[in-house]
Amino acid sequence: MAHSRFVVIFSVMISVIILGLSLVLYSRASVTEQNSSKIDTVGGHTPGYPILQTTGDVLDPTSLNINPETAVVDPSKYLREFNYGTVTNSSNGTKIREFTLIASDTQTKEVSPGVLYNVWTFNGTIPGPTIRATEGDTIRITLINNGSKFHSIHFHGIHPSEMDGVFEGIAPGGKFTYEFTAEPFGVFPYHCHMQPLEEHITHGLYGALIIDPKKPRASADEMIMIMNGYDTDFDTENNFYTVNGIPYYYMHHPIQIDKNRLIRIYLLNMLEFDPLNNFHLHANMFDFYKTGTKLIPDEYTDIVTMNQAERGILEFSYKYPGKYMFHAHKTEFAEKGWTGLFLVNDETSPVSIQNSNLTAATTNATDQIPYNTSNLSNVTSISPAGGLK
Amino acid sequence: MEREESSSKNTNRYPISKKTILFGIVPFIVIGAMLILLLSSPGILFQSPIEPLPQISIEKVEFSDQYIVAFVRNTGPSEITIAQADVNDRIHPAAIEPEQTLSKFSAAKVIIPFIWNSGEPYNIGITTDDGTRFEKTIDSAAQVPRPTIEQASSFALIGTYVGVIPVMMGLVWYPFIRRLSISKYNFFLSLTAGLLVFLGIDALLESNEIAMDNLAPVFNSQILIIIITIVSFLALQYVSQKLVQRASKSKSDIGYNSEITSRSTPNLELKDVDSSSGTSLQQQLLIRPLAISMMISIGIGLHNFGEGLAIGAAVLLGEIALSSFLILGFMLHNTTEGLAIVAPMAKARRIPIRKLIVMGLIAGVPTILGTWIGGFLYSPVATVIFLSIGAGAIFQVVYSIGSWMHHTNGSKGLLSNLSIITGFALGMLLMYLTGLLI
Repeated sequence: MAHSRFVVIFSVMISVIILGLSLVLYSRASVTEQNSSKIDTVGGHTPGYPILQTTGDVLDPTSLNINPETAVVDPSKYLREFNYGTVTNSSNGTKIREFTLIASDTQTKEVSPGVLYNVWTFNGTIPGPTIRATEGDTIRITLINNGSKFHSIHFHGIHPSEMDGVFEGIAPGGKFTYEFTAEPFGVFPYHCHMQPLEEHITHGLYGALIIDPKKPRASADEMIMIMNGYDTDFDTENNFYTVNGIPYYYMHHPIQIDKNRLIRIYLLNMLEFDPLNNFHLHANMFDFYKTGTKLIPDEYTDIVTMNQAERGILEFSYKYPGKYMFHAHKTEFAEKGWTGLFLVNDETSPVSIQNSNLTAATTNATDQIPYNTSNLSNVTSISPAGGLK
Repeated sequence: MEREESSSKNTNRYPISKKTILFGIVPFIVIGAMLILLLSSPGILFQSPIEPLPQISIEKVEFSDQYIVAFVRNTGPSEITIAQADVNDRIHPAAIEPEQTLSKFSAAKVIIPFIWNSGEPYNIGITTDDGTRFEKTIDSAAQVPRPTIEQASSFALIGTYVGVIPVMMGLVWYPFIRRLSISKYNFFLSLTAGLLVFLGIDALLESNEIAMDNLAPVFNSQILIIIITIVSFLALQYVSQKLVQRASKSKSDIGYNSEITSRSTPNLELKDVDSSSGTSLQQQLLIRPLAISMMISIGIGLHNFGEGLAIGAAVLLGEIALSSFLILGFMLHNTTEGLAIVAPMAKARRIPIRKLIVMGLIAGVPTILGTWIGGFLYSPVATVIFLSIGAGAIFQVVYSIGSWMHHTNGSKGLLSNLSIITGFALGMLLMYLTGLLI
């Protein structure tokens, strides 16, 4: 009798244990079933780290290209794209530059490989198009509000009150033309100034305005770089940090430059939430022109730190060929996307200079950014890329 | 058996007509049609302006040589795509297997090549395609135990120290308890009940904590814990009733220890006889303690299995570093469990040592099994389930002890007996105090 009792007890216990084991194994099995059709590798960017072979998918914004169809911006194109507007001459001889910006707030685009975000844009990209004029020109910018909320454009610089884009919002479906004289020369941000300001800026309504001095700066390979971030989960902390809109983009698409060629970067910080951002250049030093409003550099350095809306001009050239990193020296930002590479070419490429901008052709590899070969004449107008439906 | 017969009689008395069948089927048809309609065109009844929020849960994080592996499950309302992984909020290249798109409730393994530091806390983040970041913090990174012979024997050793030895030591008190007067005996029985109530509550709280930390809200794990506890209670109650009934049917199997019974019966005023078993009072006195003790061993065995799972998992998750002090704490804590097993048998006939050892093993050995499963194949779902089963088992034992004491004390009411109340309170306090060592 006692014997059979123990049999009952033990069988109960064993069945309980088997039940548990099978539960555990089931939860494992649901993980381990895989398709073995493809093998990808992960890692290996960092010295000492293992290279992982996987039959699954790769999650790697540091090396994966973003789909250009769904990306919020093409940083290759954006880097050297300066828009001079449609130019007419007024009766007193000043140039009038006309631009059209279309505000939109309903689109969802990819801000990092595989990450979708409701972007608010000027002309469909974050950052918005770079507007460029010469000191003394008349700038006319027509804002068409194609969004669902009130929007405006607030330019930094000198202009009348009614052109400040703060007290007059443009209603959805509305239109307004801002007009002011380009002054002084320098680098300026523009952004939407509707309330809540933080929301309108962090969603992407900003861009750069460059006003050149009447006597042009020295000829150089010029670039625009806007530092920003994305708070994709709305916790008032950025999930991604970028320069020119896509995290890590210039890591897998290094910016090609020539050895000993003067490089000029118009750098702006539009980062929301974090009080500081910075730019650090590897293996080199640069002249820094704070706000770009003077022709004499303020500093010779390899790092510059900026608050939101602070900006300046960087000038440097590389003495040695090779790959050089540039990134935020707030390493958190660097490790969340604000990192890129310069690829310095040894031989000087055939260069045709036009209006202090470069057109050149040096393409060693398809994934490296060549000089912009498009015609950078004074009459390029901004095409509304982010569409009117 | 009786119930089955009566139900078959009922069906004979009321034959099922076609009308009845129709009434039986109609609800299924209507509900089924509604299901098909709603699933095929979800927006037909109402259009929600808000999209349901995605939800994933990181159920487990393992640290192995140069890799961190996160086990994620889609616990949200619809399909989801994982976009990236991070360690301490810094983006790292990773692989996801089998694939980055997860259907509802399916799981995937995110493998992050990462050189981690032992003993440091890590926060693992997984970002979905809508940019939401889900995270899990591991307090102290530790190499995931590999199921090697060394590791298995190390866990077995821990299990022996923590489970088997303390329970066995508790059993050694058997002869001491046998010689107690009835009021002191009542005290020890209620002490046991107190110890067990503590263990039961502890198991419920712990399973709740694990469920909250590791399981997604979609599993409704708190309700699950309560259901499993109740079902386990009822199932074990049924088993114990069967054990008592069977034992009492074969009277010859039970020896009659006149010495013990004669010493203890004068103090007892037992009037009510368990009608279901139909055995005499004296037989009841002999059979039930053994059955109760056996049920206590099973209950404690289940509890120790859960405890072993928790220990193994804690080692795995790096939540505890198993120090000798910790093991000492568990030992003291679990010695009282041995006491719980022997207490009900104190007034029964002399129990053969062999049987005592078997009971001790039933109560203690599951700890070893638990550490193996918890350490090598940690699953928070399994841990929660076993802790709940253990809780139900323990409450069943408390119930048995209570009803046993009610019988032996007759009409006197348990709560008017000071030794019972102090025993119960002291039992819980003792567990609380030894629990502080852990």
